[in-house]
Amino acid sequence: MRRYETTFVLRPSLNEEEINTVIERTTTILTTNSGKIIELDRWGMKKLAYQIKKESQGFYVFCDYCSTPEDVAEMERRFRLDDAVLRFMTIKLSDGITTEEIEEATAQAEQKKMAATEDEESAADESSSSSEEVTASENVDDTISEDVEKAE
Amino acid sequence: MAQRPPKKLFTRKKICRFCADSELKIDYKDVKLLRSFVSERGKIIPRRIVGTCASHQRQLCEAIKRARHIALLPYSGSIQS
Repeated sequence: MRRYETTFVLRPSLNEEEINTVIERTTTILTTNSGKIIELDRWGMKKLAYQIKKESQGFYVFCDYCSTPEDVAEMERRFRLDDAVLRFMTIKLSDGITTEEIEEATAQAEQKKMAATEDEESAADESSSSSEEVTASENVDDTISEDVEKAE
Repeated sequence: MAQRPPKKLFTRKKICRFCADSELKIDYKDVKLLRSFVSERGKIIPRRIVGTCASHQRQLCEAIKRARHIALLPYSGSIQS
């Protein structure tokens, strides 16, 4: 099982359901053959640095996962065929990951998410900072935390 | 050789930001960090001006090129906020 991360950009004209279908389809492909999703992050709508297929905005989705190379190839093949996906990029993070490392990574990812939501809440409330964790301060600089659209 | 007026010396003693601060990770997703290594026109700033070491400059270039592919950074032209 190798660890990968994929970022893909969807058309901005899709509604919530269509975005969810695309993401679910992707996750089902990845989780066949006992693949595991470590982190799935929706960055939301962002302005593209240049026009892709005449679109100037895109819905970014980031996924960190473990899977077999064949599943990844299948997912990329589907992306190429799908009109809704504008761009995708897969990067291999490591070869041969163990189950313990997967659990560690999932826990870390969840912690980051919790810290990010806490950050957003405390910033919105304009109250004094409750607990300044090291992870929280790192996430302030992270673009991911800024662009995550949490349903409020 | 005839005497040339001394060329402007680029600061030699600059330290690599990534070597000095081990917490800084080069990540293609971190657009804010990458923007400081890209000129106004979108071109990658050479190492002798920024002061990064060779290996980190290579990693930076790779990250910038990945970010360009995903349209987080432009290939050329000013970076519109």
